[in-house]
Amino acid sequence: MNAKRIIAIFEKDMKDFLKNMMLLTMPLLPVVLALIYERMGNELPISLIYLIVGVTFSAVTSSVMMTMMAEENEKKTLRGLILSPASFLDIIIGKSLVTGLITFISLIVSLMIVGIGPFLDFRVIIGLILLFLFFLLLGIGIGLFSKSIAATSAYLMPLMFLFGFTPMIYSLGLSEDSMAIAIADTFPLMQAIEAHETSSWSPTGIVALWVMGAAIFMYICFKKTTTDD
Amino acid sequence: MENTIEVNGLRKVFGQNEAIKQVSFNVEKGEIFGLLGPSGSGKTTTIKILTGELGQTTGDVTVLGMDSKQFGTSGFKSKIGILSDNSSLYERLTVYDNLKLFCKLYNAPLTEIDVILKEVNLEEERTKTVSKLSKGMKQRVLLAKALIHKPELVFLDEPTSALDPANMAQIHRGLQRLNEAGTTIFLTTHNMEEATVLCDRVAFLHNGEIQEMDSPDTLRYKYSTHAFHVETFDGDKLVIENNRDNADQIRDLIANGSVKAINTDNPTLGQIFLKITGKELV
Repeated sequence: MNAKRIIAIFEKDMKDFLKNMMLLTMPLLPVVLALIYERMGNELPISLIYLIVGVTFSAVTSSVMMTMMAEENEKKTLRGLILSPASFLDIIIGKSLVTGLITFISLIVSLMIVGIGPFLDFRVIIGLILLFLFFLLLGIGIGLFSKSIAATSAYLMPLMFLFGFTPMIYSLGLSEDSMAIAIADTFPLMQAIEAHETSSWSPTGIVALWVMGAAIFMYICFKKTTTDD
Repeated sequence: MENTIEVNGLRKVFGQNEAIKQVSFNVEKGEIFGLLGPSGSGKTTTIKILTGELGQTTGDVTVLGMDSKQFGTSGFKSKIGILSDNSSLYERLTVYDNLKLFCKLYNAPLTEIDVILKEVNLEEERTKTVSKLSKGMKQRVLLAKALIHKPELVFLDEPTSALDPANMAQIHRGLQRLNEAGTTIFLTTHNMEEATVLCDRVAFLHNGEIQEMDSPDTLRYKYSTHAFHVETFDGDKLVIENNRDNADQIRDLIANGSVKAINTDNPTLGQIFLKITGKELV
């Protein structure tokens, strides 16, 4: 790993991001949602606050990351980075820093609007970091897999609904013991809520497993883009 | 002489298609080597194998003393420069910002940016956004990107394909200076004039096999009929075989002051390729 190369990629991505109107608007989504929820007046249930977290990680982290990676892949600029002395980790970390920074700003602003108090807990923060990593790695993997920016939109919607809006499944009127609810309860966002509401570390462990799965998916997708074989 | 590239029995198969068939060649250190062939002949596949973008099916490939298993290392990548159909630029960034990124990735001093921009005649476009450049200008920025870290070996896949004659000549001079400074250049081109001007040796690749390989001058002599084409002031066009028996005839024509022009019939590289393969180099 080389800090100079990581910073070079970060600087380039930051300049590119600031000139990309499509990506610039994405971090506003969770802030707008937080403002709407805040105007409801009452104290928000934790699942609703985590919906803001889910929207931030899916609509900002995953969406920005997959768009940036898909654009690099589509315009063949990623090959230039791969053929340079920058390593796999230099490229992935360098490219993740902008998304990380934007996500952080968007999430902090959104949570401050609805009340950041419930999140000032070590275990909850670990859960949020793991959630961020899951959505980030998934975004990189899908961005590399989808080959073009246009194709990312086909993957973004299912990703948002499955992993970003998971708590919404309870508003579909399904029975508590239905298979869909049981499966959704194992999803990262639901496990993060579980971790928030209990003192157990096992939900955090399950989110960590999701992160590992996303990391493997991302690594396979990246390796496929390094050669033309 | 030390070899920068050594290729022995290289073969590449894509499914049922054998793109490269037992190709062997060496490129000496400090040489400009041209791989010539029509589209689909295997030129780009060969470059991709030599740069690690593709794996070979069989055969041994050594570049800069490293075998193909080491092509993914930063040690290898920092010593080579590549301009290929996979090369691209960040369209929303300026020329300077594009080159700055690669300067930093290759650990080259930022002062090299202005030097290389002068070399490719783009000093005035330094602060322009890449998306606003013409195709030829973008090609020159890509070339600058490939050369900015002063690599030991440069792979150039059709480097002057989008350039006008003036810029092409300037790039040729730049490549010759780079070569004089010790850089080995491996290039593919359709432009036979370019190959003749630049290359120390060329190889004709056709249907995945090398058909002929030597210096352009040697090849042109080898495929010449060795005849003199004489044009007189009377308008006659004579073809005189290059042998001792015809020496008197040529001497008399010159002595009479009737020779308007006299040329040998050395063919161009394009004509030689056509003769060997029956195909045009397009």
